[in-house]
Amino acid sequence: MKNMFRWWWGILSAFLLLAVLRVFLPLPFSNEIIIFSIYTMGCSFLLGRAGFISFGQPAYLATGAYATAFYLFYFGTNPYIGILIGILAGILISLIVGPLFVRLRSDYFALVNLALAVIIFYMLQKVLVGITKGDNGLWILTNIASTPVLDLSRPSHFYIFAFLVAMAVWALYKYLNDTIYGACCLASKINEDKVEFLGYSNFKIRLTAFVIANTTTALSGSLYAVYLGFVSPEMSSSHRAADPVVVTILGGVGTLYGPIAGAIAYTGMKDLISGLIGNWELFIGFLLVFIMLAGEKGIWGTLEPLLKKVLFKKNASKTER
Amino acid sequence: METGMPVYRGLMAMNNEEILVVRNLNVSYGEAKVLYDIDLSVKPGQVVACVGRNGAGKSTLLKSIAGFLKPLSGSVTCDGVDLIGRMSYDIAKMGIKYIPQDKKVFSDLTVRENLELGSYATKDYNWDQVTDYFPKLKELMDRKAGNLSGGERQMLMIGRALLGSPKVLLIDEPTEGLAPSIVSHLRTVFGELKKKSSLVIVEQNLPLICAISDKVYAIKEGRVIKELAGESVKANICELYL
Amino acid sequence: MMDTQLLISGVIFGLSIGSIFFLMAIGLSLCFGLMRIISLDQLLYYSIGAYITYSVSLMTGSVWLGALAGMVVAGIISFGVERFIFLRIYERDITFTMITSFGVLIGGVGIIKSIWGVIPRPVDIPTLTQISIMGTEIPVYRLIVIAISLLVYLGIWLFLNRTIIGKAIRAGIEDVSHVEGLGINVYRLFTITFIIAGTLSGLAGGLHAPLIMVDPAMGLEVLPFVFMVVIIGGLGSIKGTLISAFLVGQVVSIGSIIYAPLAQMAPFAIMLLILLIKPTGLYGSKLLKR
Repeated sequence: MKNMFRWWWGILSAFLLLAVLRVFLPLPFSNEIIIFSIYTMGCSFLLGRAGFISFGQPAYLATGAYATAFYLFYFGTNPYIGILIGILAGILISLIVGPLFVRLRSDYFALVNLALAVIIFYMLQKVLVGITKGDNGLWILTNIASTPVLDLSRPSHFYIFAFLVAMAVWALYKYLNDTIYGACCLASKINEDKVEFLGYSNFKIRLTAFVIANTTTALSGSLYAVYLGFVSPEMSSSHRAADPVVVTILGGVGTLYGPIAGAIAYTGMKDLISGLIGNWELFIGFLLVFIMLAGEKGIWGTLEPLLKKVLFKKNASKTER
Repeated sequence: METGMPVYRGLMAMNNEEILVVRNLNVSYGEAKVLYDIDLSVKPGQVVACVGRNGAGKSTLLKSIAGFLKPLSGSVTCDGVDLIGRMSYDIAKMGIKYIPQDKKVFSDLTVRENLELGSYATKDYNWDQVTDYFPKLKELMDRKAGNLSGGERQMLMIGRALLGSPKVLLIDEPTEGLAPSIVSHLRTVFGELKKKSSLVIVEQNLPLICAISDKVYAIKEGRVIKELAGESVKANICELYL
Repeated sequence: MMDTQLLISGVIFGLSIGSIFFLMAIGLSLCFGLMRIISLDQLLYYSIGAYITYSVSLMTGSVWLGALAGMVVAGIISFGVERFIFLRIYERDITFTMITSFGVLIGGVGIIKSIWGVIPRPVDIPTLTQISIMGTEIPVYRLIVIAISLLVYLGIWLFLNRTIIGKAIRAGIEDVSHVEGLGINVYRLFTITFIIAGTLSGLAGGLHAPLIMVDPAMGLEVLPFVFMVVIIGGLGSIKGTLISAFLVGQVVSIGSIIYAPLAQMAPFAIMLLILLIKPTGLYGSKLLKR
């Protein structure tokens, strides 16, 4: 029973933080953070567990978003089904490109995903303009029906829903971490050959991680679609590629709290900095370089040992010579 | 000690002082410790051998001396000058040349160009030193190094390292995989070389190495377990310690 | 069928675009081959080259002078970046340096924005003359661009094959630690290579500026294409880079005559196809585990 509690306390405390923030921060901001956290969790999983960085996460984001948007625009009005469709789209695209992408070297992988994002961008903007309405985007706000219990068309209810989804995703990742699968992923990053010798398939490990991570990303896309009520091809443009990379590094690679910390910090900074100096790229570029040079553990990664040191200071001084 | 020899760059042929001294060297690869408190010394003109099983740490020792690995602790000095912490190319410039085990030469460059690089680094353009020991290289000058046989590559590697009259040659398993005729050629070459440079050779071929060495260090699991010199440098005695 | 005039001008157009891609891809290829880094910041030096060309040509009235200045400034800045940033991180793994270079690129774009603003700027074409090739009017400027890139190819070839430093670089591309073991300061080689890359990227920007509008995101727009070239041609191979640069240029050009949006996408499709068959690129080196 105690173990159960210990397992859950991590999740609970992180989300308690978010709930508290909800009280203090404006609703749109909170919603933005929650959805963005889910986006980041996916990217962080990809980098931290599978060992891949991808410069093309917008591709999967847009996939989920547009799948949901298509459903809501052309077929039905139930946002839950729309989100489900988005998830399925994410799984589908990951299974299609995954087998190829996952075999590649890490640098090719990053760029090939960027290529995918650009392809999807052009397809949404020009090639499929008939159904996507190109740069004008698809407006689906009015298509979203009110649903019982949690009315997703209302931002405050949406927040609760998104919050629950985020918790679920987070729990899933934590669970995966603690299983053999999680260990396999780590091992795969460190020594590929040994993993094969042990009887596991590197390819399968990576492919699974790829699918899970990108489906999560697609899920966040679907949530964006429902929340904003609008999708546009710009979601998949190469300009958007930097965001997930930066925030993943910011939050610390592969940690569990990292994505949330990173998402909060990023969204907050974006608002703040854009107001102050209006030159977001400048700031983010320098920040990224600074973080990389300083250490790749990110915000949480560097804070955690410091916090531990502070909390256990008393014990430490006893054991010092 | 031989007298009347020309004075070589830095080589203190006149006195008995050690040219390379390793004290209490500890080296690890990441978390795994590989060398424990290694002591080793080389005098000018000596051939010193390191023998031991695979994985004993012999290559690690040479790499650490040459500056490719940073030790945890200990000291390495050459003519009294501390080597630890220096860049590997500085150490090579100081006259300590490392010849790795992998028999790799720059395959896209010709033999001539390989030697040109050696000359560029050491500012020593006298290739006679090289071709005197390895006349075969003269014929192979314009061949791409990638097309050389294993023995020819080894000759190129060693020959190239001779440029700049190094004080110490650190040679890692020179005879591995080579035909017997080439092995005996190398044996003669090493016998000649020791007049100019000290040699530290890592080898598995015990009879060969014992025939040419003045001193043998037997290394087992990262430690020097025996130092043999003079009469006791014999293959059968070495084997006892491995 | 397509009429010949359109085809010829399409081919020339493709070759000139390919030339720009080549100039940038060379730098990326060399930097990877020797230092094992993915230098995404080359896109920044491209942008810098273009913007300096813009400003200098406004001040002096000469676009050629502008391009020259662009090259020089790009080279200087790349030197600075190499010394301050890359020098510290050469030993790290490739993903790490890639992310860092990405940060430099993004930060640099920010600086460009703050100096020149976000509005796209036009740069005059230095010569407006056209000559007739096989009955088609071809802008001489595009031919000059192609000629310059071929000269650069020749120059790089001579450098790598006839100078001792070039040979050292080729040796380093094979095995850096062996070069160190000879007594050669490899970090100087790294710096030289990086400066060459940055200067060529700056030249690419300067040459490209008159053909497009100069805007802060231009580096990011060209990024996928340049990487396409590098991946298809294989990182570390100069000849492969030239061939794949012209190939991608042709695909973009001829393709846009046939059906514009598809043309933008076609290089990506080709790249995916090639990686499917040969995951290291057409001429790429097999080295490097993940």
